[in-house]
Amino acid sequence: MTEVVVRCSGVTRTYQDEAVPVYALRGVDFEVRRGEFVSLAGPSGSGKSTLLNVIGGLDRPDEGRVEVDGTLLNDLSQSELSDMRLNKMGFVFQAYNLIPVLSALENVEFIMQLQGVGAAERKERARVALASLGISELEHRRPGELSGGQQQRAAIARAIVTNPVLLLADEPSANLDSGATQELLELLQRLNEDSGVTIITATHDPMVMSYAKRRINLRDGAIVEDAINEALPA
Amino acid sequence: MSDAPAGVARNVRARATPMLAMRIGWRNLWRNARRTWLTAGGIAFAILLVVFSMALQFGSYAGMTENATSLLTGHLQIQNPAYVNDQRVEHTIADATIVRRQIEATPGVLAVAPRVEIFALALDAEGERSSGVQIMGVDVAAELSTVRFLKMVKQGRVLQSADEAVIGATLARNLGLDVGDELLLLGSAKQGGMAALALRVVGLFESGMAELDRGLLFAELEAVQNAFELGDEVHTFAIKVVDLESIDTTLGMLRREIVRDDVVIRHWEEVLPELQQAIELDRVSGQFLYWMIMILVVFSVVNSFIMTVFERTREFGMLLALGTRPAGIVALVLWEALFMWMLGALIGLSLATGLLWWLADVGIYLGAAMEEFSAQFYMPSRIYPALTAGAMLTAPLVMLIGTLLAALVPALRIPLMQPVEALRAE
Ligand SMILES: Nc1ncnc2c1ncn2[C@@H]1O[C@H](COP(=O)(O)OP(=O)(O)OP(=O)(O)O)[C@@H](O)[C@H]1O
Ligand SMILES: [Mg+2]
Repeated sequence: MTEVVVRCSGVTRTYQDEAVPVYALRGVDFEVRRGEFVSLAGPSGSGKSTLLNVIGGLDRPDEGRVEVDGTLLNDLSQSELSDMRLNKMGFVFQAYNLIPVLSALENVEFIMQLQGVGAAERKERARVALASLGISELEHRRPGELSGGQQQRAAIARAIVTNPVLLLADEPSANLDSGATQELLELLQRLNEDSGVTIITATHDPMVMSYAKRRINLRDGAIVEDAINEALPA
Repeated sequence: MSDAPAGVARNVRARATPMLAMRIGWRNLWRNARRTWLTAGGIAFAILLVVFSMALQFGSYAGMTENATSLLTGHLQIQNPAYVNDQRVEHTIADATIVRRQIEATPGVLAVAPRVEIFALALDAEGERSSGVQIMGVDVAAELSTVRFLKMVKQGRVLQSADEAVIGATLARNLGLDVGDELLLLGSAKQGGMAALALRVVGLFESGMAELDRGLLFAELEAVQNAFELGDEVHTFAIKVVDLESIDTTLGMLRREIVRDDVVIRHWEEVLPELQQAIELDRVSGQFLYWMIMILVVFSVVNSFIMTVFERTREFGMLLALGTRPAGIVALVLWEALFMWMLGALIGLSLATGLLWWLADVGIYLGAAMEEFSAQFYMPSRIYPALTAGAMLTAPLVMLIGTLLAALVPALRIPLMQPVEALRAE
């Protein structure tokens, strides 16, 4: 029996949009175990990002419980959530992932500096992370000097360098062409399979879904389908 | 199974040197180089202007003070405390020779001039015209090395013997006298009897101060002492100090050296309160202007940082999402502000110092028109800037605080940001 990393029960999130309530999530129940690679699918506005944000401690549910790595997020203060994100989660967003004035290497180092990792160890680990994403030779480039795919790889390097319990990626391939998307997905797959990183990604992209081991389909803020990806070798 | 404990934080937060934060702050400065140069230029401008003006202002005070005190008053005056309130003949300092020696022996004293000061009536030889005068019985050599008044004799010469007098040009005209003519002084002696002194006018002075040119008469110290039945007594010692900036030290020394009931030692600020007040008034109005300039520039810095913080909303959202504490992001903005200030201060101070250094030799000539005016208001016709720490450092330090506060104002929005909202920002 593998350990449960994420447990959502009865998670509801309602936005008040000009007096009209928007039900972004309505009673979502699901669990993610260590080592899973989950894609959250569904049409635009179905609540994928909201669910990812709630799991990542970036947003709070109105009702229901969210547990990550045994900690009930509902109970945490803002700064405890901030620490939780820093130490247990890795984030990859659609864009604006990196600090524009820092090189790829420095961006990866930055997150470890927040954790208080010493300079030498920081550099060492950052280089290893960049190498594992195949962009060692680009370590001194700033984000503006990297392609979209290279930027996303640097963002993933930063996300995994802290050995997070969970890697959360919201539309990581939205700004990439299909070649770069495929490269990115292969890297994520390898991280998942070789290093056992637990990944949850929100996406429209069928290609992303095809790489994930498990697909959760959302519609109007509720899970309508939760299936193992049969196409993948077990 | 996980090797991480179920607690929130696996790692302790950074207390290490914020090298990356500094680096980000510095590099962020150059994301909008034009704005940075404009803002830093504003800071430089404020610092240049205020440092320069303060140095000139302080310099002009030093000039005014020196000008005013070196005319007749001296830097310090020693009198009988009774004389300060009531200028009567009998309110003297006794043992003048001894006191004079004590004064001269005090470190920091350059020169001292003993004076007898008596109000009397001056008459021409025929007794037809008369005028009230203040007689100054002086030691000419001491007087010349203490103040410059007797150097302003425009006709004739200074005193050389006991029967000579130097008078103001206006007084001479009023009495119908010229160089070489006789005059008679009538007054009451110390014991209350009548005192009379006949003198020959040997020089006329024109100081430009109407009151003095109309009512002042110089004669030999001993002659006046004898005529008015004063022994070894004087009313005033005027003192010139070596260094006006350490006048307070010298004053303290004198107060310790000369402890007598019939002696009070006064700073020029007490002797010439109107000069002190004029300086104070000018200082306050100057300060008002400086604050205006600096506050205006600080507002432009606020504006610049409002734009900066606004433009980076999404980036700050990303940093917050990663787990950066709001205070850490505020720190990034403050580093940027600190570097902004350093840039401005470096430019402003270099320009100001360069300019002032050059002017410290040359001085600023206030123009011929000022010459007349300056005589009245003790203004020197040439101002030399004062390169004092106060003048050099006040503006940079005020701007440092101003710049940091200016950055802090918009940066305080950061802790209120919701990472998700900020990430969505356009
Ligand atoms: N801050 C907000 N204020 C109001 N409504 C919001 C807010 N955030 C999300 N919503 C609404 O909640 C619903 C779910 O949004 P969410 O972003 O989770 O959808 P999504 O599945 O990620 O969509 P997309 O595929 O377009 O990214 C949508 O109807 C959206 O308009
Ligand atoms: Mg979304």
